[in-house]
Amino acid sequence: MLEIHHITKHYGSYCALNNVSLNVRRGSIFGLLGPNGAGKSTLIRIINRIAVADSGQVLFDGHPMTDDDVRAIGYLPEERGLYKKMRVAEQAIYLARLKGLSYREAEQRLRWWFDHLEIADWWNRPVQELSKGMQQKVQFVVTVLHRPPLLIFDEPFSGFDPVNANLLKDEILRLRNEGATVIFSTHNMASVEEICDDIALINQSRVVLDGSLSEVRQQHPDCSLNEIFISTVARQQ
Amino acid sequence: MKKILLVIQREYLTRVRKPSFWILTIVVPLLLALVYAIPIFLAAHSIEHANVMVADESGVFMDRFQSNDDVTYLPAGGLDYAQRQLREVDSIDAVLYIPARFNTIPTDAFLYYRSDKPTTQVQKDVDNQLQVILRDKILLDVHNISSDDYALITSTTIRLHSLDLETGRDGFLEVKILLAAILAFIIFMAVMMFGSQVMRGVAEEKSSRIVEVIICSVRPFQLMMGKVTGIGLVGLTQFLLWLFLSAIAVVGIQTANSDLFAQAQQQINITEVATKGADAAAQMASLQNQGVASELMQGLASINFSAIIFSFVFYFLFGYLLYASLFAAVGSLVDNDTSDQQFTLPLTIPLMLPILLLPAMMKAPAGALSVWLSIIPFTSPIAMMFRIPFGVPFWQLALSMVLLLLTFPLCTWIASRIYKSAILLYSRKITYKDLFSWLRTR
Repeated sequence: MLEIHHITKHYGSYCALNNVSLNVRRGSIFGLLGPNGAGKSTLIRIINRIAVADSGQVLFDGHPMTDDDVRAIGYLPEERGLYKKMRVAEQAIYLARLKGLSYREAEQRLRWWFDHLEIADWWNRPVQELSKGMQQKVQFVVTVLHRPPLLIFDEPFSGFDPVNANLLKDEILRLRNEGATVIFSTHNMASVEEICDDIALINQSRVVLDGSLSEVRQQHPDCSLNEIFISTVARQQ
Repeated sequence: MKKILLVIQREYLTRVRKPSFWILTIVVPLLLALVYAIPIFLAAHSIEHANVMVADESGVFMDRFQSNDDVTYLPAGGLDYAQRQLREVDSIDAVLYIPARFNTIPTDAFLYYRSDKPTTQVQKDVDNQLQVILRDKILLDVHNISSDDYALITSTTIRLHSLDLETGRDGFLEVKILLAAILAFIIFMAVMMFGSQVMRGVAEEKSSRIVEVIICSVRPFQLMMGKVTGIGLVGLTQFLLWLFLSAIAVVGIQTANSDLFAQAQQQINITEVATKGADAAAQMASLQNQGVASELMQGLASINFSAIIFSFVFYFLFGYLLYASLFAAVGSLVDNDTSDQQFTLPLTIPLMLPILLLPAMMKAPAGALSVWLSIIPFTSPIAMMFRIPFGVPFWQLALSMVLLLLTFPLCTWIASRIYKSAILLYSRKITYKDLFSWLRTR
């Protein structure tokens, strides 16, 4: 689905990504792990074509990624926001239309999602009246509304209470089962163990660990994922 | 293309639906109507009548004061009595006290008023009458001038008419300067107001981080131009509504005071007919007898309004476009609201320059300063709008417009480079060095 070949990216003299290569299988959930500042968000921005890599390339379905392919991505950034003064539904429909949906299509799908998540009474409320967690829920719906085949979630669980985090996890699994490919970056090892098929650990701009979850477990039989994470990062320093 | 239309639509609708838009839309014509109506109202109705007691110890003034529509002058025995009256009787508004001076004409007079009833109207009337009475006293009593000579002296004034060499008609410079300053100021306000709306809009998108989601579906240039266009259309809408509502207000006031206007109009028609003759002597003769009110209206009538409206729309549109994209670029540099000062200043300085230099431009609307400011693109929208009512040589107008048309895409290009690089850049202080490096890289 998505092949990342030898991506290198510098910001001035600072190296954010150093020769990073990854392969994301169609229909899998791919966990992108790493400590803060490792380069995860930069990699995601390059996949989204928000940032341009210095060298290397990203292949989408076997061909170099184009702007049209970006429309096939649903992206939930780590630092996320909405227009505070716009109404919830109006805003979600606007963002969906920017992704190419018609007004009618966007509205119908949004109704379904709002009923499904039992948040139908938020429909006409201004965003600023919603709590942070409520806004995150709306943002999640906005991300998946245009049914993108590739979903990228950057720290999707931050800011959610355990009940809603669980709800979100179930939704991600359901989307995967319906055929979507999911990349998500997180620090939360518990969620990785629960839902990821493959993982990659990025530290200091490089991929230091890469493989399916079961492979990684076999290589480190006595450790929890958390311990693997900490020891791998510590070994590098 | 469809996406930029969506962005324009959002920018336009979210602003036009705000209550503040409609409040501003209604308040401005209301204010305008008030400014227009008050002098008319005052002309038709004297506001308040005042009674002044005069304690004249010099004996020069009292019987010479003339009561009129505004002020009635009453004799008072002495100062003490008059002051007591002022304190106790509600209908007395002021006391004028003129002490006697031995053997000479008084040089000082004192007007007492109650601190709960200050009055400038009485003060003005009293002052005028004191001067006239004193002059009469000197002419008639001291110098014993005959009443014929007296009439000649007091009725003789000379009015200066400044005439345009080509038309031989009064140029109405004062009226034009007033109009010109108002036009220049409106352009300034509009560019400033809608420009900073663009800046705030961009800064809001950046600081709320929604831009990261939007930039995945819309190119940065589309997002920026969509915002600039949407807000520009809001400005245009507001102007049209102001024009429409003001026209309604003006017509309303005119019909409510129709007799007053019929009078003024009649006077204009008379002088119009007279000045249409080619005979210079006849023109001058006709100029000699007209009131101040009709002069103002004639001044307005002599101005080429279609040229003003055309150039107003042109300079508003392109002045706004020139600055709006730059304001968007500045908005994209904002990290938190406090740090944007260093980048807004280079924008507001050229914008304010013509307004600050307006007094100098008023002295010579076609002087070197005015001409240069009206041709240089960053000051031309305001400076040229100031010059238009006086008439501008065609080549200067054309040069100014062409330069503005050429500069606007250049600014948009520069702004979009900065915007593209800065809109996703967080938690780092941006310097001017960064701006230049963004302009150079691809």
